[in-house]
This record gives sequence, C-alpha cells and structure tokens, in this order.
Amino acid sequence: MAATNKANMDEVGMNKGIWVEGRAKKKVLEFLNGLLNSKKLEAVLMPATNRTKDSYSWFLMGKDGLLESADPFPPVMTTQGARAVSYLTKKGRAWKKTAVLLRPCELRATIELAKIRQVELENLVLISFDCPGAYPLEKYFNGDQKKLDEAFDACLSKQAELEGARAVCSICNRFTGRGADIEIGLIGGEAKGFWLIPGSREGEDLLEGVTGSASHKLEAREKAISELRAQREEKRKQTLDSFQETVKGPENLMRVLSSCINCHNCSRVCPICFCRECYFDSKALSSEADAMLQRAQRKNGLRLPPDLLLFHLGRMTHMSISCVSCGACEDACPADVPVSMLFSLAGRNTQAVFEYEPGRSLEEAVPYTVFKFEELKDFEAPYIKEYSKEQ
Amino acid sequence: MQTLIDSRMTMPDFIAALFDKLDLAGVAAMTKLPSGEKAAYTLLTDKDDIEDCVPYFPAMPANAARAVSKFTRQAPPSKQVAVFLRPCELRALTELVKIKQAAVDNLLIIGFDCAGVFPFSKIRLSDELKLKEYREAVAKGKNCEGIRPVCSACTRFVPEGADIAISFIGRNLDEPLVLSFPSEKGKEAAKTLGLDSSSKVEASPAVDSLAEERGGAEKKLTEKIEEALSGTDGLISVFDKCISCHACSHVCPICYCKNCYFESQTFEYFPESYFTRMREKGALRLPVDRVLFHLGRLSHMGLSCVACGMCEDACPVNIPVSQIFKTAGAKAQALFGYIPGKNRDEPLPLLTFSERELEEFED
Amino acid sequence: MADQKTEKIIVAFLCNWCTFTAADLAGTSRLKYAPNIRIVKVMCSSRVDPVFILKPLLDGADGVLIGGCAPGDCHYSKGTFYARRKIALAKTLAGSMGLDPRRIRLSWIPASEGPRFARVVNEFTKQIEALGDNPAKREVYI
Ligand code: SF4
Ligand code: SF4
Ligand code: SF4
Ligand code: SF4
Ligand code: SF4
Ligand code: SF4
Ligand code: FES
Repeated sequence: MAATNKANMDEVGMNKGIWVEGRAKKKVLEFLNGLLNSKKLEAVLMPATNRTKDSYSWFLMGKDGLLESADPFPPVMTTQGARAVSYLTKKGRAWKKTAVLLRPCELRATIELAKIRQVELENLVLISFDCPGAYPLEKYFNGDQKKLDEAFDACLSKQAELEGARAVCSICNRFTGRGADIEIGLIGGEAKGFWLIPGSREGEDLLEGVTGSASHKLEAREKAISELRAQREEKRKQTLDSFQETVKGPENLMRVLSSCINCHNCSRVCPICFCRECYFDSKALSSEADAMLQRAQRKNGLRLPPDLLLFHLGRMTHMSISCVSCGACEDACPADVPVSMLFSLAGRNTQAVFEYEPGRSLEEAVPYTVFKFEELKDFEAPYIKEYSKEQ
Repeated sequence: MQTLIDSRMTMPDFIAALFDKLDLAGVAAMTKLPSGEKAAYTLLTDKDDIEDCVPYFPAMPANAARAVSKFTRQAPPSKQVAVFLRPCELRALTELVKIKQAAVDNLLIIGFDCAGVFPFSKIRLSDELKLKEYREAVAKGKNCEGIRPVCSACTRFVPEGADIAISFIGRNLDEPLVLSFPSEKGKEAAKTLGLDSSSKVEASPAVDSLAEERGGAEKKLTEKIEEALSGTDGLISVFDKCISCHACSHVCPICYCKNCYFESQTFEYFPESYFTRMREKGALRLPVDRVLFHLGRLSHMGLSCVACGMCEDACPVNIPVSQIFKTAGAKAQALFGYIPGKNRDEPLPLLTFSERELEEFED
Repeated sequence: MADQKTEKIIVAFLCNWCTFTAADLAGTSRLKYAPNIRIVKVMCSSRVDPVFILKPLLDGADGVLIGGCAPGDCHYSKGTFYARRKIALAKTLAGSMGLDPRRIRLSWIPASEGPRFARVVNEFTKQIEALGDNPAKREVYI
C-alpha cells in the first residue's frame, strides 16, 4: 500500500529486481498462487476471460478460486481497473490482504481515487507491469481475436509497438508499473523472462522466498525504457499538438463533437468521474421551454438534448487535472468521438499549470485542494492591470 | 383509417407554412449540423434556418422523446412549438406524459410513417448511395438494408397520437406531402393552413406490404432472442460481454430517472460482502449485479418499452439490448393487454388493477 | 435434476399483518415445516418490488415465496391486487430471460392459518427440491 509513499520508495532500492525465467503470464499466476497458498495473500483482484472467452472482466478470487483463465495482461480494457478497486473498497478497507493487478494507467487512476477517498488502499497490494497498450474494444470484438491475442502476446516482452492499439496507448509515456508495490518488468526481458521488482516494503516482503537469478540485466531494462519513453514523449507531444490545432476554436471543436450524442457514457466509465449523480445530469441544468426557445433564437438553433458542449468542457474542469489518459471513455463512446484524445489534451494543459502528474504520488495533493499565496501570477495579471488602470 | 389529403406542399414549404400561418414559436426536427456530416435533433425558432431541416434523415442520435422531455419537463412552452417525431419517439413521449416527465401543452405533434433508421454511427449526410437506397425502399414499401434490427422488425411504424401525420411509405420523398389530421388540434391546424378542403388521396398499398414483411421479421427476431435466452446459461452468455456502463438506460427514453436505482447506494456493498460472496463461489465477478441491472431495468420500464433501438445503438460492446427488451417487453405487455404509447389516457399497468385477474399467478 | 445434497434456500417475503403472523402461529403451534425458508418481513405484499425477487434468484437462492393477506383483506385494502400484478410481471420476465418462473410463488395466507402456512412451505420446498439447484448458485460468470 505504501508503494507511492515517497520516503518508502527511496528506501527500497530500485535495482532489486528478481529475474524469473519463463512465460510471464504463467509465472505470474504461479507466483500469485504461491502467495495465496502460503496465506501471504487472501485474495487477488484481476482480470480473467469471461465465460464465452471473447472478452475480459474483473474477478475477486480466493485460494480455491484462482481461475485458469485469469490474465494479468489482458489485451483490452473493459472496465477500468481503478473502478474495480473502487467497487471493492469504496465503503471501507479490504477485509483481507488482496493483490490487485493493474495496468499503469489503472494504477495511476487508483491513486487519484485514493486521494479523493473513492478507494481505500489499506490491505491492498498493487501490482503493475510494462504495458504494451490495449486494443480498442470495438476492434477486438469485431476482429480476429486469435490473431490479435498473438500479436499482443508478442508485444508483451519485445519492445515493439502494438499494432492497432488505442490512440492514447500509442502515445502513452507512462507505460511502466512504477509506483506499484510490485512491478512486473517485461521490457528488456527479450521473451525469455521478466523481473519482479519491489516498489515498497510490502512488495519486498511478498517477494521474499521467490527464487530467481541475480538481476544483472536490470540496467538493460532501464535503458530500453528510457529509449521508448523518449520516443513516446516526442510522439505524444506531436500528436497532442496537432490535435490541438484540430480542435482550435469553438467551430472546430464542434466539428469534432458533431457525432456526439450527448449520452455521457464517457463520464460513466471514466475512473476519475466517480460522482454517483453527475452535475451535468442534475436539475441544475434543466430549464423551462421558453428559456430554451430564447437560447435557440440567440444561437440560430439549439441542439437537443442541450448543453453538449457545456458537458464536455465542464467535465474537463472537474477532472482533466486527474485524467490519466487511459482511453476508457473513448472505448465506451458509441459515436466514435475521439474523447480520450480530447481529455488527454485538456489534461496535459491543465496539469502543466500546476506541474501536477496524476497518479505520480499519493502524497501529492490534487491541485484543487491546496494553494499557495504566491502563485499563478500569470493568471491574475490582466485583472490587476485593468484594475489599476481604473484607479 | 384517417382521411389522407394532398397538401400540395413539399416539406420545406410545409414547415414554412407552419411558421407563417400557425404563428409558431419554433420547430424541433432533425437538422443538419453546421460542422461535420451529421444531423441532430434541433430546436429552431427562425424561419430562415429551416432549410437545414431534414426531418426524415434516417438516424436517431437521441430518441426525440428524451429531447422533448428535457424541453417541456420543467415548464412547457407558452407558445406553440411543432415537434417532428418518429412513431416510436411519439409512443415514448406518450409514455413519458403518463409519468409526468413531459408535457404536450402547446406542442403540435407532427408524426410521420417510419421506414426505420440506420445505427447512428453508420450514416452520414454524404452517404448518397445509402440514402438513395433508402428512398427507393420507402417508395416500394420495403425494408432497407442496414437499418437497425428492431426497425426492420417494427410493425408500429405508422404514427399513433399525432396532431398531423405524414403518410410517407410508398411515396416519393420530394413530392408534396400527403397528410392526415387525427386530432382536434390537427384539424384546427388544417383549417388555418387552408388544407381542410384539399383533395383526398388513396392509402398506399406499400404500407400493407411493409407491414407484412416486418411482421415476418418480428417473428424471426422473437424466435432468435427466445432461443438465445433459454435457460440461465443463455442469460449469462447473452450478457457476458456487458461492461455495466448503463449507456443503454441513459439513452433510453423511458428510463428517465436522474438517479437510477441501480446506481444508488442500494447496490454498493461493504467489502465484507464481497469477500464472503467470493468465498462461497471461489471467485466473484466485478461489478456485481451486472445481469440484475438488465432484469431489474426490464421490470421498471419493460412495460413501456417502445422498441426504439436506442439502447442497442449506444451499447459499446454490441449486445442486442433492444432486441431483448422488445421481446421480453412484448411478453410483459401482453400479460396486461397493454400497448405502450397507444393511448395517453390509459394508465400504466402497475398503477391499476382489476379484482379478478391473473389468477394463475396466485394461490 | 433433483439434487438432494445441498440444502435448498427459499427467500420468503411475508406481509407483516397476515402471512408473517401465520408463520408465527405455525411456530407457536409447533407445526412442522421445512427449515429452508429465510423470512424477510415486509409491511405489505405490494412492497415486494420485482427486483427483490430477481436479485436472490440471480444470487443463487433456489426459490422466492411471497405471502400476503387474502385478496380484499389487505391491511392497506388494495395491496394484494397491486402485488399480484407485480409478481405476475416478475414471473413473466423471469420466464422470458432464462430463469425458471416456477421458482417464484405467490400465496395468500391469512393470519389465522398457521397450518396453511406450513403446508405451503412444505409444498414449495418439495417443488424446489424437484427442480434441483438454482443453476446461478455456483455460477461465477453471472
Ligand atoms: S494508456 Fe498507457 S498505461 Fe494505459 S493501457 Fe494504454 S499503454 Fe497502458
Ligand atoms: S477522461 Fe477518459 S482518458 Fe481521462 S481518465 Fe477519464 S476515461 Fe481515462
Ligand atoms: S463523447 Fe461519446 S460517450 Fe461522450 S457523450 Fe458524446 S457520444 Fe456519449
Ligand atoms: S429499452 Fe431500448 S428499445 Fe426499449 S424504449 Fe428503451 S431504448 Fe428504446
Ligand atoms: S432502470 Fe429503473 S431506476 Fe434506472 S433509470 Fe431505468 S427506470 Fe429509472
Ligand atoms: S450499454 Fe451495453 S455494456 Fe453498457 S450496460 Fe448496457 S448492455 Fe451493458
Ligand atoms: S397488508 Fe398484507 S398484503 Fe397488504
């Protein structure tokens, strides 16, 4: 639980990885099984295939229930993992010591949710991995799943770009499980094996007794990661910059949103949008017919149901600062709106103002909840100037 | 059968006449969006903007009953507004009026025969070929390839409860409109529009042939769904991919609740409950109550389901939600001899009873 | 397929004024009835929302019994008539959605009829035993 606690992280050396030879998926399941059998863990929360084996879902599994079809590295994200953690712990801490397998963006969202008390981390052990990305749900459901699975598996250990990954995945610059109690290091393993790397005391404890050879190759992983990160940072910047041009000005933004049906499904699957009753569905926004007629008159027409743009922009003000670019919103959008790109862009810009990185550290407060007396002068200067002119 | 008349007006003329002679405050209809290739249901107040109106455009990005509900729920307009509605939208509106989620005061309801809509992500204004095929299908009274599955199996495609109804199947879309005026309000409008003595037109036989084709399709659809849902195994398989996003209920015109029961605290549990249940079964799938949501939603609104197809269009994982709700809804409706949207004054089945009925369900 | 190995669980929603009292009476008169039922007291049979019935069935209960006053004798006068409609709806939906409607039973049992209560419970338990385990009971994919 203390993984993202900074002090704790420094204490635990970063290069204590245990090299495990063999297929990562199989070995990770063996590792978890071992922990369950030795009672170091009581439960595991992780994805497994559904019954018809054409999709994935979250399962809470005990010693006798670890499904054979459990998969630490699913090729799609059906429910954002942070949501799954929130289902389990929203009303209190996990009853039993539980390991949770998360993608890096799910891990970051989990940490954001812990800050706003929608997740309770106590008794949880967070495990994450080097994520190759995920396929869009639609592509996975309508495509040749066998082929897609194979391509995905191949990318797990090789440092290759996942072809056909979701747009946000292909520009993801936070693709390792750093910050978790245990990190599964796949990059640099060259398909021969992987590292189990403790990120906290807790992680160290669980890894005790796991046999493996020395971790001399960890440097190779670090190197591969920094190369990939540099590439991704560049690609991310370029992609978001050009997307910014695409949505510049209300008209262009409206063009991008023209197929939006105002269903709000993007917010309902978003891990950060936790509100049971969304403000944009509330009575606050309802108005009388005559008022709507007036709006229609002013704007030469009013799209119904109204407030589509307000919803997106408003949602941005609520949560873009914590947006982890996970792509869940876009996957769930029935109208193919590039909504996670839009929010990633908004997030990049709002997060930069506060030098905030969602999910980086549990100790970093959500910018809305703190302030300094001397800050953000750029944003008030025009007002002060105006004001002094008047005087 | 209502008397059909030749209005001698094309659609744009008709809308213009509505503005001019009926002193409308506005018109709501599918309208081209200024940007992009899409159309959306839009409220227009200015006669000069109506050239972008495309009431027939075969897409339903939102069930317009939901739009009308948002428009009128707080307070209906103080001046008359004309709303164009597809038959299933009109039926949904009628159901919403019964539960006080919409008002029809000062609405002039213009319904039209419906040849179906395409899934909304599958049609653009520039898809000329598809739209041409659609027009041909309308003229012949046939199902057009590619429309929503529930549309091709929809047998209630003639508007019920409109003030003005446009007869559309079996006709050419650019020709002057053939109208009927089923309500008092409609008859008055006809007088004002100077249409009360227009020449009569015969009903098109294409309406019957479409009804027949659709009846057959409905039967097939029902059989398919019944087979898929036979037994608990079937139930689990059908909803196996469902991600519990609830998009289906949020776009459903009948599911009006701001705070859905299935998103309420009732269905949030303490961790103990999860761990206990996990221990009983070995593994517990999250989120829980995923299948219950669908059955429960059916119990809440299945009696009013108008089989509009919105839920299925909005489902991100391609579950045939509206085919399921149409099928299960129809059976529940048959139990009470209830047809949603048929009659505004008929009470909802669960709000009424007779003392001697349903005795096979009790002992 | 009859499955005698596991005890069948029947969730019973009993109206406070009649059937719950009847159950009490059956108890105090030492009438024997099957121990399978788990009683939930409700103020009136019409309080039983179809979701109350569907939820235990999906969570693995083998049967759901709803008990209320004799029609016309409802403490709130019309409750039983509304209840009958709701339960008819629940049974019909269950049947359309792949659940077995025979696992749902609605019985009117007045307060004074302890023996009738015992008989209904025994009868229903037998019927449920004949139906076997609810397939949802151990289903992890539901
Ligand atoms: S956004 Fe990044 S962390 Fe999330 S799934 Fe894609 S690659 Fe992985
Ligand atoms: S806005 Fe979209 S990309 Fe951002 S956290 Fe929410 S679901 Fe993920
Ligand atoms: S962006 Fe997509 S998911 Fe979000 S409201 Fe619009 S259509 Fe719905
Ligand atoms: S359940 Fe689906 S088909 Fe039925 S009214 Fe609602 S959206 Fe339309
Ligand atoms: S499922 Fe029930 S509670 Fe939820 S929106 Fe629909 S009618 Fe309302
Ligand atoms: S829209 Fe589809 S995935 Fe979402 S809750 Fe409904 S059926 Fe499930
Ligand atoms: S009070 Fe017993 S059924 Fe209504």
